[in-house]
Amino acid sequence: MNLWNRLRTTATALLPDCREASRVQSKLLDHPLPASRRFGLGLHLLVCKWCRRYGRQIRFLGHAARDHQDELLKSDCGLSPEARDRIKRRLRE
Amino acid sequence: MQPDPTSNPESAKPPGVLSEPSQWVDEHGDYLFRFALARLRNPVLAEDAVQDTFLAALKGGRNFAGRSAERSWLTGILKNKIYDHFRKAGRETSFTDLQFYNDEDSDRFVAEGAGQGGWIHELGPQEWPNPGESLDNELFWRTYRDCSGKLSKNVAAVFNLREVDGLDSREICALLDISESNLWVMLHRARMALRRCMETNWFDKIK
Repeated sequence: MNLWNRLRTTATALLPDCREASRVQSKLLDHPLPASRRFGLGLHLLVCKWCRRYGRQIRFLGHAARDHQDELLKSDCGLSPEARDRIKRRLRE
Repeated sequence: MQPDPTSNPESAKPPGVLSEPSQWVDEHGDYLFRFALARLRNPVLAEDAVQDTFLAALKGGRNFAGRSAERSWLTGILKNKIYDHFRKAGRETSFTDLQFYNDEDSDRFVAEGAGQGGWIHELGPQEWPNPGESLDNELFWRTYRDCSGKLSKNVAAVFNLREVDGLDSREICALLDISESNLWVMLHRARMALRRCMETNWFDKIK
Protein backbone atom coordinates (compact mmCIF):
# COMPACT_ATOMS: atom_id res chain seq x y z
CA MET A 1 0.00 0.00 0.00
CA ASN A 2 1.59 3.25 -1.06
CA LEU A 3 2.09 6.19 1.26
CA TRP A 4 -0.90 8.17 0.05
CA ASN A 5 -3.28 5.26 0.60
CA ARG A 6 -1.76 4.65 3.98
CA LEU A 7 -2.33 8.29 4.96
CA ARG A 8 -5.88 8.17 3.74
CA THR A 9 -6.64 5.01 5.66
CA THR A 10 -5.20 6.47 8.84
CA ALA A 11 -7.19 9.67 8.36
CA THR A 12 -10.38 7.67 8.00
CA ALA A 13 -9.52 5.70 11.10
CA LEU A 14 -8.82 8.78 13.18
CA LEU A 15 -11.59 10.96 11.79
CA PRO A 16 -14.47 8.72 10.85
CA ASP A 17 -17.69 10.19 9.59
CA CYS A 18 -20.98 8.75 10.83
CA ARG A 19 -21.25 6.27 8.03
CA GLU A 20 -17.76 4.96 8.81
CA ALA A 21 -18.45 5.10 12.54
CA SER A 22 -21.51 2.88 12.12
CA ARG A 23 -19.38 0.30 10.34
CA VAL A 24 -16.74 0.45 13.04
CA GLN A 25 -19.26 0.10 15.84
CA SER A 26 -20.66 -2.99 14.21
CA LYS A 27 -17.24 -4.48 13.56
CA LEU A 28 -16.22 -3.85 17.15
CA LEU A 29 -18.93 -6.27 18.26
CA ASP A 30 -17.21 -9.13 16.45
CA HIS A 31 -13.56 -8.34 16.27
CA PRO A 32 -10.88 -6.46 18.12
CA LEU A 33 -9.80 -3.40 16.19
CA PRO A 34 -6.53 -1.49 15.97
CA ALA A 35 -5.96 1.35 18.38
CA SER A 36 -6.26 4.02 15.67
CA ARG A 37 -9.79 2.91 14.85
CA ARG A 38 -10.87 2.72 18.46
CA PHE A 39 -9.36 6.10 19.18
CA GLY A 40 -10.99 7.70 16.14
CA LEU A 41 -14.33 6.17 17.03
CA GLY A 42 -14.05 7.34 20.60
CA LEU A 43 -13.39 10.89 19.49
CA HIS A 44 -16.32 10.81 17.13
CA LEU A 45 -18.65 9.45 19.77
CA LEU A 46 -17.70 12.26 22.12
CA VAL A 47 -19.29 14.73 19.79
CA CYS A 48 -21.96 12.73 17.97
CA LYS A 49 -25.07 11.77 19.86
CA TRP A 50 -26.60 10.00 16.84
CA CYS A 51 -23.69 7.60 16.63
CA ARG A 52 -23.79 7.07 20.38
CA ARG A 53 -27.42 6.09 20.04
CA TYR A 54 -26.62 3.86 17.08
CA GLY A 55 -24.08 1.91 19.10
CA ARG A 56 -26.40 1.52 22.08
CA GLN A 57 -29.24 0.42 19.88
CA ILE A 58 -27.44 -2.25 17.91
CA ARG A 59 -26.03 -3.67 21.12
CA PHE A 60 -29.46 -3.65 22.70
CA LEU A 61 -30.99 -5.53 19.77
CA GLY A 62 -28.17 -8.07 19.75
CA HIS A 63 -28.52 -8.82 23.45
CA ALA A 64 -32.29 -8.98 23.11
CA ALA A 65 -31.97 -11.71 20.49
CA ARG A 66 -29.44 -13.65 22.51
CA ASP A 67 -31.40 -13.50 25.75
CA HIS A 68 -34.85 -14.17 24.34
CA GLN A 69 -34.39 -16.85 21.75
CA ASP A 70 -37.75 -18.37 22.54
CA GLU A 71 -39.51 -15.15 21.70
CA LEU A 72 -37.86 -15.14 18.29
CA LEU A 73 -39.25 -18.58 17.58
CA LYS A 74 -42.84 -17.96 18.51
CA SER A 75 -45.25 -18.32 15.67
CA ASP A 76 -48.46 -20.01 14.70
CA CYS A 77 -46.81 -22.46 12.40
CA GLY A 78 -45.65 -25.92 13.18
CA LEU A 79 -45.11 -29.23 11.48
CA SER A 80 -47.85 -29.97 8.99
CA PRO A 81 -49.97 -33.02 9.86
CA GLU A 82 -48.51 -34.89 6.86
CA ALA A 83 -44.96 -34.14 7.96
CA ARG A 84 -45.79 -35.14 11.49
CA ASP A 85 -47.14 -38.53 10.39
CA ARG A 86 -44.34 -39.12 7.95
CA ILE A 87 -41.71 -38.52 10.60
CA LYS A 88 -43.46 -40.74 13.12
CA ARG A 89 -43.59 -43.51 10.58
CA ARG A 90 -39.92 -43.13 9.79
CA LEU A 91 -39.02 -43.34 13.44
CA ARG A 92 -40.91 -46.56 13.87
CA GLU A 93 -38.95 -48.30 11.14
CA MET B 1 -47.82 -64.12 42.29
CA GLN B 2 -44.82 -62.35 40.81
CA PRO B 3 -45.14 -61.35 37.16
CA ASP B 4 -42.68 -63.18 35.00
CA PRO B 5 -40.05 -60.59 34.03
CA THR B 6 -39.04 -62.41 30.90
CA SER B 7 -42.55 -62.23 29.53
CA ASN B 8 -42.82 -58.48 30.01
CA PRO B 9 -41.58 -56.67 26.88
CA GLU B 10 -41.00 -53.47 28.82
CA SER B 11 -38.17 -54.99 30.79
CA ALA B 12 -36.39 -55.78 27.55
CA LYS B 13 -35.90 -52.03 26.93
CA PRO B 14 -32.42 -50.95 27.98
CA PRO B 15 -32.40 -48.57 30.93
CA GLY B 16 -32.24 -44.87 30.11
CA VAL B 17 -33.86 -45.07 26.68
CA LEU B 18 -35.88 -41.98 25.95
CA SER B 19 -39.60 -41.84 25.92
CA GLU B 20 -41.43 -43.13 22.88
CA PRO B 21 -40.18 -41.56 19.66
CA SER B 22 -43.71 -40.73 18.60
CA GLN B 23 -43.98 -38.75 21.81
CA TRP B 24 -40.97 -36.71 20.82
CA VAL B 25 -42.66 -35.64 17.63
CA ASP B 26 -45.66 -34.41 19.55
CA GLU B 27 -43.65 -32.85 22.35
CA HIS B 28 -40.83 -31.23 20.40
CA GLY B 29 -41.72 -31.44 16.71
CA ASP B 30 -43.28 -28.00 16.38
CA TYR B 31 -40.57 -26.29 18.37
CA LEU B 32 -37.78 -27.88 16.36
CA PHE B 33 -39.58 -27.15 13.13
CA ARG B 34 -39.92 -23.46 14.00
CA PHE B 35 -36.26 -23.32 14.96
CA ALA B 36 -35.22 -24.92 11.68
CA LEU B 37 -37.60 -22.81 9.64
CA ALA B 38 -36.25 -19.61 11.16
CA ARG B 39 -32.76 -20.61 10.13
CA LEU B 40 -33.35 -22.30 6.80
CA ARG B 41 -36.35 -20.28 5.62
CA ASN B 42 -37.61 -23.30 3.73
CA PRO B 43 -40.34 -25.56 5.13
CA VAL B 44 -39.19 -28.64 3.21
CA LEU B 45 -35.62 -28.28 4.36
CA ALA B 46 -36.86 -27.58 7.85
CA GLU B 47 -38.97 -30.76 7.89
CA ASP B 48 -36.00 -32.79 6.66
CA ALA B 49 -33.78 -31.29 9.30
CA VAL B 50 -36.29 -32.17 12.02
CA GLN B 51 -36.62 -35.71 10.73
CA ASP B 52 -32.85 -36.15 10.57
CA THR B 53 -32.61 -34.82 14.09
CA PHE B 54 -35.04 -37.37 15.48
CA LEU B 55 -33.35 -40.19 13.59
CA ALA B 56 -29.96 -39.19 14.92
CA ALA B 57 -31.39 -38.87 18.41
CA LEU B 58 -32.85 -42.35 18.17
CA LYS B 59 -29.43 -43.76 17.42
CA GLY B 60 -27.91 -41.74 20.21
CA GLY B 61 -30.23 -42.96 22.97
CA ARG B 62 -29.42 -40.88 26.02
CA ASN B 63 -31.00 -40.73 29.43
CA PHE B 64 -32.53 -37.47 30.50
CA ALA B 65 -34.34 -36.19 33.47
CA GLY B 66 -36.97 -33.86 32.24
CA ARG B 67 -38.42 -32.47 29.11
CA SER B 68 -36.36 -29.31 28.89
CA ALA B 69 -33.05 -31.20 29.01
CA GLU B 70 -34.37 -33.46 26.29
CA ARG B 71 -35.36 -30.45 24.20
CA SER B 72 -31.96 -28.79 24.63
CA TRP B 73 -30.26 -31.93 23.52
CA LEU B 74 -32.49 -32.30 20.46
CA THR B 75 -31.95 -28.64 19.61
CA GLY B 76 -28.22 -29.22 19.77
CA ILE B 77 -28.49 -32.03 17.26
CA LEU B 78 -30.72 -29.89 15.07
CA LYS B 79 -28.23 -27.02 15.11
CA ASN B 80 -25.54 -29.33 13.84
CA LYS B 81 -27.83 -30.55 11.06
CA ILE B 82 -28.45 -26.94 10.11
CA TYR B 83 -24.76 -26.15 10.18
CA ASP B 84 -24.10 -29.18 7.95
CA HIS B 85 -26.57 -27.73 5.52
CA PHE B 86 -24.84 -24.35 5.57
CA ARG B 87 -21.48 -25.97 4.97
CA LYS B 88 -22.78 -27.74 1.91
CA ALA B 89 -24.89 -24.85 0.67
CA GLY B 90 -22.11 -22.31 1.11
CA ARG B 91 -20.46 -23.44 -2.03
CA GLU B 92 -23.62 -23.45 -4.08
CA THR B 93 -25.56 -20.41 -2.94
CA SER B 94 -24.01 -17.04 -2.93
CA PHE B 95 -23.17 -15.98 0.54
CA THR B 96 -20.91 -13.55 -1.14
CA ASP B 97 -23.62 -11.95 -3.21
CA LEU B 98 -22.59 -8.35 -3.19
CA GLN B 99 -25.78 -7.01 -4.64
CA PHE B 100 -27.39 -6.04 -1.41
CA TYR B 101 -24.25 -4.74 0.19
CA ASN B 102 -24.55 -1.40 -1.44
CA ASP B 103 -27.40 0.29 0.28
CA GLU B 104 -26.38 0.62 3.88
CA ASP B 105 -29.04 3.15 4.70
CA SER B 106 -27.42 5.49 2.14
CA ASP B 107 -30.49 7.67 2.13
CA ARG B 108 -29.88 8.59 5.76
CA PHE B 109 -26.39 9.99 5.40
CA VAL B 110 -25.52 13.35 3.90
CA ALA B 111 -24.51 12.52 0.36
CA GLU B 112 -22.18 15.35 -0.48
CA GLY B 113 -20.90 18.74 0.48
CA ALA B 114 -20.50 19.94 4.02
CA GLY B 115 -21.23 17.25 6.56
CA GLN B 116 -20.82 14.48 4.00
CA GLY B 117 -21.12 11.06 5.57
CA GLY B 118 -22.90 12.40 8.63
CA TRP B 119 -26.37 11.34 9.72
CA ILE B 120 -29.07 13.58 8.29
CA HIS B 121 -30.28 14.71 11.68
CA GLU B 122 -33.99 14.10 11.38
CA LEU B 123 -33.29 10.67 9.88
CA GLY B 124 -30.59 9.63 12.28
CA PRO B 125 -31.04 7.30 15.24
CA GLN B 126 -33.70 8.67 17.54
CA GLU B 127 -33.82 8.34 21.30
CA TRP B 128 -35.25 5.05 22.56
CA PRO B 129 -36.28 5.78 26.15
CA ASN B 130 -36.16 2.72 28.41
CA PRO B 131 -35.81 0.13 25.69
CA GLY B 132 -35.53 -2.64 28.27
CA GLU B 133 -39.18 -2.24 29.14
CA SER B 134 -40.16 -3.34 25.67
CA LEU B 135 -38.65 -6.75 26.27
CA ASP B 136 -41.74 -7.75 28.24
CA ASN B 137 -44.07 -6.73 25.48
CA GLU B 138 -45.44 -9.37 23.18
CA LEU B 139 -45.99 -6.85 20.39
CA PHE B 140 -42.36 -5.81 20.56
CA TRP B 141 -41.38 -9.38 19.86
CA ARG B 142 -43.86 -9.71 17.05
CA THR B 143 -42.29 -6.61 15.50
CA TYR B 144 -38.82 -8.02 16.04
CA ARG B 145 -39.80 -11.27 14.31
CA ASP B 146 -41.30 -9.35 11.41
CA CYS B 147 -38.21 -7.19 11.07
CA SER B 148 -35.94 -10.22 11.17
CA GLY B 149 -38.12 -11.79 8.53
CA LYS B 150 -37.41 -8.89 6.23
CA LEU B 151 -33.68 -9.53 6.26
CA SER B 152 -32.54 -11.49 3.27
CA LYS B 153 -32.04 -15.18 3.92
CA ASN B 154 -28.26 -15.11 3.98
CA VAL B 155 -27.99 -11.98 6.06
CA ALA B 156 -30.48 -13.39 8.56
CA ALA B 157 -28.55 -16.64 8.73
CA VAL B 158 -25.34 -14.82 9.54
CA PHE B 159 -27.06 -12.66 12.15
CA ASN B 160 -28.49 -15.75 13.86
CA LEU B 161 -25.19 -17.57 13.86
CA ARG B 162 -23.45 -14.60 15.41
CA GLU B 163 -25.95 -13.00 17.73
CA VAL B 164 -28.19 -15.91 18.73
CA ASP B 165 -25.87 -18.92 18.54
CA GLY B 166 -22.87 -16.90 19.59
CA LEU B 167 -20.42 -18.42 17.12
CA ASP B 168 -17.35 -16.28 16.69
CA SER B 169 -16.31 -14.72 13.39
CA ARG B 170 -13.77 -17.35 12.57
CA GLU B 171 -16.22 -20.20 13.14
CA ILE B 172 -18.85 -18.55 10.95
CA CYS B 173 -16.37 -17.89 8.15
CA ALA B 174 -15.26 -21.51 8.27
CA LEU B 175 -18.83 -22.75 8.28
CA LEU B 176 -20.03 -20.66 5.38
CA ASP B 177 -16.75 -20.50 3.49
CA ILE B 178 -16.76 -16.70 3.38
CA SER B 179 -14.13 -14.12 4.09
CA GLU B 180 -14.02 -12.01 7.23
CA SER B 181 -14.79 -8.90 5.25
CA ASN B 182 -17.87 -10.53 3.71
CA LEU B 183 -18.95 -11.47 7.20
CA TRP B 184 -18.65 -8.07 8.69
CA VAL B 185 -20.43 -6.43 5.80
CA MET B 186 -23.35 -8.82 6.24
CA LEU B 187 -23.48 -8.32 9.99
CA HIS B 188 -23.32 -4.57 9.54
CA ARG B 189 -26.14 -4.78 7.05
CA ALA B 190 -28.23 -6.92 9.39
CA ARG B 191 -27.73 -4.65 12.37
CA MET B 192 -28.38 -1.50 10.42
CA ALA B 193 -31.55 -2.81 8.79
CA LEU B 194 -32.87 -4.32 11.98
CA ARG B 195 -32.24 -1.15 13.95
CA ARG B 196 -33.98 0.96 11.36
CA CYS B 197 -36.94 -1.37 11.10
CA MET B 198 -37.37 -1.56 14.88
CA GLU B 199 -37.15 2.20 15.17
CA THR B 200 -39.74 2.83 12.47
CA ASN B 201 -42.14 0.10 13.50
CA TRP B 202 -41.80 0.04 17.26
CA PHE B 203 -39.88 2.75 19.02
CA ASP B 204 -41.27 5.61 16.96
CA LYS B 205 -44.77 4.27 17.46
CA ILE B 206 -44.75 3.85 21.20
CA LYS B 207 -43.78 7.45 21.84
